[in-house]
Amino acid sequence: MKTKVKFTNVYKTFELHAKRSEKILNLFSLSSKKKKFKEFIALSDISFEVYEGESIGLVGLNGSGKSTLSNIIGGVIQATEGEIEINGETSIIAISAGLNGSLTGMENIELKCMMHGLSKEKIKEVTPDIIDFADIGGYINQPVKDYSSGMKSRLGFAISVHTDPDILIIDEALSVGDSTFAQKCLNKMNEFKKQGKTIFFVSHSAGQMKQFCDRVIWLDYGTLKEIGDSTTVVDNYQKFTNWFNKLSNDEKKAYKKEMLGKQYRYTDVIKKKEISNKKERTSQFIKNTLAILPVVAFTILLLLGY
Amino acid sequence: MFNSVRQVIREQIEFRDLIFRMAKFENKGMYQVHYLGTFWQFLSPAIQVAIYWFVFSTIRGGAPVGETPFFLWLIIGLIPWFFISPSIIQGSNSVYQKIGLVSKMNFPVSVLPTIRIVSNSNQFFVMLGILIVIALSYGVKPSIYNIQFIYYLICLFAFLFAFSLLSSTIATLIRDYQTALQSVMRMLLYMSPVMWDTSLISRTFPVVGPLLENILRLNPLYYIIEGFRDSILGRAWFFEDMVYTGYFWLLTLCLLYFGAKIHMKFRKNFMDYL
Repeated sequence: MKTKVKFTNVYKTFELHAKRSEKILNLFSLSSKKKKFKEFIALSDISFEVYEGESIGLVGLNGSGKSTLSNIIGGVIQATEGEIEINGETSIIAISAGLNGSLTGMENIELKCMMHGLSKEKIKEVTPDIIDFADIGGYINQPVKDYSSGMKSRLGFAISVHTDPDILIIDEALSVGDSTFAQKCLNKMNEFKKQGKTIFFVSHSAGQMKQFCDRVIWLDYGTLKEIGDSTTVVDNYQKFTNWFNKLSNDEKKAYKKEMLGKQYRYTDVIKKKEISNKKERTSQFIKNTLAILPVVAFTILLLLGY
Repeated sequence: MFNSVRQVIREQIEFRDLIFRMAKFENKGMYQVHYLGTFWQFLSPAIQVAIYWFVFSTIRGGAPVGETPFFLWLIIGLIPWFFISPSIIQGSNSVYQKIGLVSKMNFPVSVLPTIRIVSNSNQFFVMLGILIVIALSYGVKPSIYNIQFIYYLICLFAFLFAFSLLSSTIATLIRDYQTALQSVMRMLLYMSPVMWDTSLISRTFPVVGPLLENILRLNPLYYIIEGFRDSILGRAWFFEDMVYTGYFWLLTLCLLYFGAKIHMKFRKNFMDYL
């Protein structure tokens, strides 16, 4: 089977700055050498491999890194460390994103398909399918700002699934629509699965997970706690949440504090920056000077009135 | 050395169709809720021109610049300015505004500033039509100099592209820049030869005046606006002043070089800086 997505020891950290000015200094790598930065480790040492035609569920409590992981797969943000191999086009299905409120549904279909890189002919071809799938009747010719939130998510979902990606990431997109629409979406995704597409599925619904996913990844405070057969992992996850819910409020707080504490660390940011070696830096400096020098020369000429 | 410049330009050419169609949608979206629709693109600058005409051609007069009536002189500078100023400000803001939307798809981010420039050009070309009518009604005779108007249009678009590419990256990383840019643009209206003839300085301060005027000429918009006047009023050829032409193009290339470089460096990480 062909590997679609492969993560090897992937980390994602966010630098926490006490002051905004530190962020700027860091941007230009000007910060003082001794200073250490506080970092939040959103994902820590994640490794897994996903094959063609698989559907993978992502479970975990809020803030466990599910969205960070799906954003990395979708290419929205970059990992800090580690190797990522992605074979194919990815598309994140984010329900309302990218709909322009003052344009009509029809115009939004054209605009969003266009932004996904579909050709004019292809857009004409899929438009009837999208309208049919969204199933919002005459509202398709009304401005999107007049839509209900359900209609918006229907239209958004309909457009996204018709842009023909190889790897789909569905980030809690189904939780908005009603159960009939959710069923329709699940059917559509089963169709994708048969076509050999890879699907990542973020959801809090254990039922949908078990019904739809082949394997499930359980993220816990940024670490990969378990990966495996969907029924086993989802059951284990439910056992964990049940255990957690039974704790007293103080115990819950203590547990959260302990786990979150593990996600902070202090690192020497400069260390990372030094990877770009001296030689490269000098050549960059020379290039930049070469670009600026003629402008400076002509500026002087101009000022002198030549 | 020019790898990133090449890639950015290649993206503009490859996605030219996308640029024009997205620009059309931008305009459509902006005026969708208006009863007069895209007619406003013509109406709002026309009203502004009418006000300037009312003040400078009927009430206050204004001394002619050289042999050119003041209103005609003013309007040749003002019409490009109505295009330049919003294009620079919106072009700089374009990446920040749209990145959340386009990062979720495979979208060439470098075309975002270009889309803003293109969507504003519609209005600009309508205004150029009005400008021609005004110039003819003031008795400007067509001359061979008019041809270089095309050259200055190329200058204008090249500069806007290079500047907004650089500017859009900076404005995404440092938000203060966008606010500062708006103030600078407001100031630049009076530092460019739009509202007044800069040779006034040399006449008022004979000693330091020429140097001050040369400092004002460092502003690349000065080159473009005076260039438009040269070509419409038939005053001079652009190659008569090679030092200034050289300065303008070197500056534009330098902006493009750094603009493309930092754009490519940060494009993958834009989301982290929001």
